[in-house]
Amino acid sequence: MFLRDNPVLTRELLVTLRSPRAFVLQFLYVSALGALVYFYWPAGEDGTRQVSPGVARRLFDIFFLGQFFLVSLMAPTFAAGSITGEKERKTYEMLLASPLRPGTILVGKLLSSLSYLVILILSSLPLMILCYLLGGLLLSEITRSYLVLILAAGTFGLLSVACSSYFRRTSSALVVSYLVTLPLSVLCVALTRTDDVVTRDFVSIAILPPWCLALWTVLEILINRRLLHPPDVGSEGKDVVDEEEEMKYAIGVVIDRDLFPDKLFAPAKRVDLMPDGTNPVLDKELRSEIFSQGTLMLRVVIQVSMLLSIPLMAGLLFLRSDKAAYYVTYVLTFNLLVGPVFSSGSITQERERQTLALLLTTLLTPGRIVLAKLVAALRVSTVLTFLLTEQLLLAYILLPELRYRVWTLLIFLVIIAITCLATSSVGLMCSALVRRTSTAMVLTYLTLLVLFVLPMGLSWYLEGIGQEQSFTPERLASITITSPFSAALSVPMHTSRIENWTGQSLNVPPPVMVQLTRNLALPVWAIFLAIYPPLSLVFFGITYLAFRWRWWKAGDAG
Amino acid sequence: MIEVINFTKRYGDFVAVDDLSFSIGKGEIFGFIGPNGAGKSTTIRFLATLLRPTAGEGRICGHSVTADPMAVRRVIGFMPDDFGVYDGMKVWEFLDFFAVAYEIPRISRKKIIGEVLELLDLTHKKDDYVNGLSKGMKQRLCLAKTLVHDPPVLILDEPASGLDPRARLEMKALLGELRKMGKTILISSHILSELADFCTSIGIIERGKLLAAGSIQEIQQQIRSHRVLKVRLLDDSTDRAAAILRDDPSIRLVETYDHTVSAEFEGHDEDMGRLLGRLIASGIAVQSFAEEPLSLEEVFMMITKGIVS
Repeated sequence: MFLRDNPVLTRELLVTLRSPRAFVLQFLYVSALGALVYFYWPAGEDGTRQVSPGVARRLFDIFFLGQFFLVSLMAPTFAAGSITGEKERKTYEMLLASPLRPGTILVGKLLSSLSYLVILILSSLPLMILCYLLGGLLLSEITRSYLVLILAAGTFGLLSVACSSYFRRTSSALVVSYLVTLPLSVLCVALTRTDDVVTRDFVSIAILPPWCLALWTVLEILINRRLLHPPDVGSEGKDVVDEEEEMKYAIGVVIDRDLFPDKLFAPAKRVDLMPDGTNPVLDKELRSEIFSQGTLMLRVVIQVSMLLSIPLMAGLLFLRSDKAAYYVTYVLTFNLLVGPVFSSGSITQERERQTLALLLTTLLTPGRIVLAKLVAALRVSTVLTFLLTEQLLLAYILLPELRYRVWTLLIFLVIIAITCLATSSVGLMCSALVRRTSTAMVLTYLTLLVLFVLPMGLSWYLEGIGQEQSFTPERLASITITSPFSAALSVPMHTSRIENWTGQSLNVPPPVMVQLTRNLALPVWAIFLAIYPPLSLVFFGITYLAFRWRWWKAGDAG
Repeated sequence: MIEVINFTKRYGDFVAVDDLSFSIGKGEIFGFIGPNGAGKSTTIRFLATLLRPTAGEGRICGHSVTADPMAVRRVIGFMPDDFGVYDGMKVWEFLDFFAVAYEIPRISRKKIIGEVLELLDLTHKKDDYVNGLSKGMKQRLCLAKTLVHDPPVLILDEPASGLDPRARLEMKALLGELRKMGKTILISSHILSELADFCTSIGIIERGKLLAAGSIQEIQQQIRSHRVLKVRLLDDSTDRAAAILRDDPSIRLVETYDHTVSAEFEGHDEDMGRLLGRLIASGIAVQSFAEEPLSLEEVFMMITKGIVS
């Protein structure tokens, strides 16, 4: 009953696999991986297979980490919409009222959202075995890695389905799933990739599986209960979230819309008419839409991100202040995950909730609508992200060795701000280009991955090839100019103070400069800061044109 | 006021609307009737500047729907058949949102919102959240939204669909009110009887083609020649009653089934009275004698027949 004749699973698989897109994507994925292996393949002209042992290792690392990244990013994207999607399409009650058992629904939803991901992971297995032939790898290690990947996919998927059953909107479920899976995946990578072989094997074979199974059981019971006695099948009036009522039961953070900094992202509701010249869309987005689903999502976001930042702050700012850039990468990762959620649904949701026709027949110009959407999304994502920079400010105030380098703080803050702009504008662009929020989100994350993370992986990969060919650090750095992570890490952090502290002279490598023209060489962060504002403008231009031609100027639907 | 000239919309091979032309004069209430999927909403969305036509042209108050959508949006109030509302907004905020979107200055906004709420009997719901309103209330709210900028032309797509009988009646009264205010209204429905009472003209559309258009009298004239009488009897003298009916020149086809005689009738209202008189005079215990309300389907059948023959 759970697997065979599961109508939920059958329906979802049918929809996914009916389109040729799934196969095209898989083809592209496998060919990309194949290309990676091909260029590493050390066949000389005389057919010798002389390779340094590090090559297979590095390939394996790229495969594993890349796929782990894919799993932790994509499992929530697919699974977090599984139940909220039913709620949004108003098919939830029909599904619950059917004789299907909650367990069947859960298994169907979980497997259908993960099946494609698992197929992707497994399709890389032959290539991995090919790397095994290069030597330097243990078969047990490969098996272990795939076990970890599958366990991670299952756990993250189930967590996201759980979030999906608790929230009413896909966007809320997605943000919370990301924030829950983020620390778990960091922990998982840290434990299963330690240099100590014994710990590594022990953790991935003896500790991880039982813990995962225990977690799965708990989650399954929770979701089952939620599906069996759903408290959120709304009739009239139930859709309305009473903010004051919710505040009473809020644990921890309480959002007060009259106080700083909460009013920055959630200004208080109006008590009177809007003044003339207000952009009504912006006003609506900020004052009504953000809180319309209650404050639970925002509270979870703030709490979890703050909690996570405490150990990171201790380790990366106060113990090793030269690692401050790594704290910044945490802030950037947070924005990468949370930023698009507020923008990538902003146009598609108008369509899905059938308010687009109302909006389009008014006198609002496409420019005003799109600009309001961008400003609203940018404001929320920026304020939430900058809440995490107060730790950074604190470190710069308290630590003398950082205080001498205040200019790096400014660069970090600007990098974070520019990244907020980039994530929001990419999200909005994808929202204008496709028809459904779920597609827009996947597209946004893929675009951002290509811009932010892929260059890092690529430069790491090329560094491995570079043993034979000549890839200078400058050339490698020039690949990563689109990545804010690379930009943050390129900010020079070693200070003279540290030398005094430890009494040793530190080996400070000269900052890597990217040669732009014959006379001009700039560090990665400077190029990053220079290219993103115009690039964001281009994204915004595409958004504007797409919105204008597809919807505003008499589209093909309403 | 509204002109549709050779409007055609194709989706691939499928022709949603085929070479549609009609026009609506000032102050008219035009009922746009057709079964589900006939192309009503497609035409209406085209007129509301939301749909690109494959061919053809539309004009509202002299402005081209395709070339000058902004001018058209200024003069129309559009209510889609299926619409959502924004979450977390109160009724007055919702109206204020659209009032600002229609560039109404703040000074007059307060008065207008009050008036519109009053007209639609929503004043007591002013501070309720829109997503908590019932379907009927939402429908009224959307109508309120179409009125904030006082447009001379209203385009309403199935405004009464999904409403309970009371809300339906209220909606009807409201439309009467709007008609008195001199608005030109294009209203669609798949139920003929819903529109017949207060429309001044009607267009019937099926499978993307306009089958008939004209004033309500003209259409009714066409329909009148094919009316169906239903006579319910208290006893089982159905055969006798059927025989009496068959003798009458205004009756064409007679069918009987338990205690009921149904007959196709061609004639005027006076003939109907005469028939009833004859039945009673013959001592037949008539429980009810009425013209069966024509379902849309039957009207279609008749009109298509009329066009073919």
